[in-house]
Amino acid sequence: MKHKMLLLAILFLSLCAGPVMAGAGQQTLVIKAGVIWPITGSAITNGLIIIENGKISAVGTNLPVPEGAKILEMPDKQVMPGLIDGHCHLGLSLDVFGEIEETVSAITPDMQILDAFNPLAEDVEKALRSGVTSVLLAPGYRNPIAGQMAIVKLPGEKRDAWLINRSAGVKFSLGNEALMYDRRPTSRPGLIALVREELNKASQYQQSKFDPRAEILKRVVQGQLPVHIYCNTVDEIFAAIKLIDDYKLKAVLVGAREADELANVIAERNIPLIYMPTILASKDKDLKRVGKIAAAGVKVAFASYAPRTNLSDLRTSAIIAAKYGLAHELALKGLTINAAEMLGIAQRLGSIEAGKDADLVILSGDPLDLTSGVEMVIINGDIVYQKEQK
Amino acid sequence: MRELIAIRAGSILTISGDVIENGTILIEDGKMKAVGQEVVVPDGARIIDAKGKYVAPGLIDAQSRLYVIDGELNESRAIAPELDILDAVDPFIKERQEVLAQGVTAACIAPGNRGLLGGLGAVLKMRRAKTSKEMVLRTNVAVKGAIGISHSNESSSLTRLENYSSIREALLETQTYMQQKRKYGQELAEYEKKKAEKKEQAKSDDQQADKGEPASRGAKDKPARPAKPRTNPTYEVLARVLGKEIPLQIEAHRPDDILNALRLADEFDLCLILDKCTEGYKVADQIARRKIPVIAGPISTSFLDMPALEYRNHDARNAAILSKKGVKVAIGVAGWDGASSKFIALAAAMAVANGMDRHAALRAITLTPAEIFGVAERIGSLEVGKDADVVIFNGHPLDAFSQVEMVLIEGKIVYEGSREAGSQQKVAQ
Repeated sequence: MKHKMLLLAILFLSLCAGPVMAGAGQQTLVIKAGVIWPITGSAITNGLIIIENGKISAVGTNLPVPEGAKILEMPDKQVMPGLIDGHCHLGLSLDVFGEIEETVSAITPDMQILDAFNPLAEDVEKALRSGVTSVLLAPGYRNPIAGQMAIVKLPGEKRDAWLINRSAGVKFSLGNEALMYDRRPTSRPGLIALVREELNKASQYQQSKFDPRAEILKRVVQGQLPVHIYCNTVDEIFAAIKLIDDYKLKAVLVGAREADELANVIAERNIPLIYMPTILASKDKDLKRVGKIAAAGVKVAFASYAPRTNLSDLRTSAIIAAKYGLAHELALKGLTINAAEMLGIAQRLGSIEAGKDADLVILSGDPLDLTSGVEMVIINGDIVYQKEQK
Repeated sequence: MRELIAIRAGSILTISGDVIENGTILIEDGKMKAVGQEVVVPDGARIIDAKGKYVAPGLIDAQSRLYVIDGELNESRAIAPELDILDAVDPFIKERQEVLAQGVTAACIAPGNRGLLGGLGAVLKMRRAKTSKEMVLRTNVAVKGAIGISHSNESSSLTRLENYSSIREALLETQTYMQQKRKYGQELAEYEKKKAEKKEQAKSDDQQADKGEPASRGAKDKPARPAKPRTNPTYEVLARVLGKEIPLQIEAHRPDDILNALRLADEFDLCLILDKCTEGYKVADQIARRKIPVIAGPISTSFLDMPALEYRNHDARNAAILSKKGVKVAIGVAGWDGASSKFIALAAAMAVANGMDRHAALRAITLTPAEIFGVAERIGSLEVGKDADVVIFNGHPLDAFSQVEMVLIEGKIVYEGSREAGSQQKVAQ
């Protein structure tokens, strides 16, 4: 009986949620823009995007405008898909690292970062204003096996349907940050040994004796759950690749500062890579690395680590990468479709194509022009941010 | 011998005036002799062809860490305004070339923010040099101070209270010190006068004695020499701050700290420069009313790899809002190392993306910082009489993809194409 009531309640709630969700995006919206960057195809000048029920129904030129549609005429503006941040900590009230670092234990795959997410946080709003519409929320850097990452859309004013995936994968950290003087691991080889130990345990895990950590890691070693491995230096990246090879992990490299040194090794394995905020580098040699990585054929996306860097402008990272040698087309893909593919959400996001979610950014100029400002952000067909008029 | 160079430019971004299309800049012995469309180029002048290119004054990073090895220099004493940043400058630092290659020709460097009054800043030119003396454009450009900086990432309002009052106390003590010095000066003058009178007296006494008259009693009550107050280097520097000879550059982030800095300026009638001014947008009217200049930055705090508390309420629109309210705004990078100064044009472009006027943004990395640090008669714009610190870009300087083709400092080509002039080392590809 109790269960039945609960089911009814859930059913009722979801029925309520449905119309609210559609209500906002139900009206047909047509965007007429100077330039449309679909990302998966070439740029369209003076094109239009038709949005119905929060989804893109058509993109192109000379399309018939549906009757009764709301039309946004923006002949001097440019439209691109909402930006996707490949690794950040928005909404986690991150003043000091402690708040996302479970430092008592080094192995915490059962921890879900979404449990600490505050969609109303100010940094979420800032990221939204910079054109970011979806993010991968990640646990911190101090635990070799840090916890489960989540993928959310940034809520903005319309706070519905923001959760995409509560358990999008597990974060590993092979960085220096994971070494602590007062608990295992205290050394780099010790760190790798500990990760292996846990993965070995998980491979042999029997469900008869429930272990919440092994439960998650079992899915990792079976290739059902991806891992995002934070690593920066050549030795850390080598260690990550060895783990991926040995355990046949479905993996993405995160940070990967010096990955240009091993670009071929990474490319031949088809391991995608979410690059660190380029602005954390300052020397020309470091600024040129990401361009070299992509040129070797590695799929690259971008991360802000926000608010760890207080960086809300993911686009700046891509522009700097492009200034120092990354092909412009790949800079745009890194902000959108490449990130979507790495996060497994490309069927819904990452490009302007019929059938995809209407998550769009409207800019005052070219997306890779640093002086272009964000004029409007649309999520699920709703205008969630609009720049104040002068 | 006169050295003449003529740059034939596509667009001359003078900054101080209108853009001059298809103009010429004539340089004689390191100074600009003529800037305009109708410039007569004398025979024998070296012609630099920059047709179709943008020519701008050398860029200035008002918050540079270049030349300062540790990124930030801090003294353990809280009040140490007499320290001079020039004493810790390494002219050989390698990153200079990479920064120069992005069109930066001058950097303002200052002590860090751990002290309340950390020391004196300087403006350096980015030329190749073996001593800091060869690079200095101006010393003692400001005393760098800080209010409300949290060092352990823990907010302590008690420390914040102490910051403001400690700086105030140092300024009050300086006033007392100056009074004592003035008093000493008066007493000394009086003493000298009395001494001279005595001497006169003694002379006439002697003359009288010669004449056989008895000497007056004066010899016994010899005037006492006033005690000289001890010279205090701290107060000596702060006296120059109180005399408006050296500005006080205060790093403050939160509105309360910014307002405290403004209170100091009101109380002591100082030349104040607000540094960083992260939440200045919240108190823009108060800053504008007092005509206090601001070195805003970082435009994106991403230049710093730390979630510093000071930047918690950072808003990328800060520089734009301040500028629109009429505040004189310079932009600095405040990067985490010296090489970050190369991002100065990007920082200005980001300000534009967040609503700052294009011209104001370009001025914020050229003429405005020059004015704030008192070097505008030398650098910051393309005007007759100023140093020929000139950058040739192949596109607009605020376009992130524009390449710097040539940099001149005082009429000398210091960077050309992909390498620093006169250097074997390749700078960029």
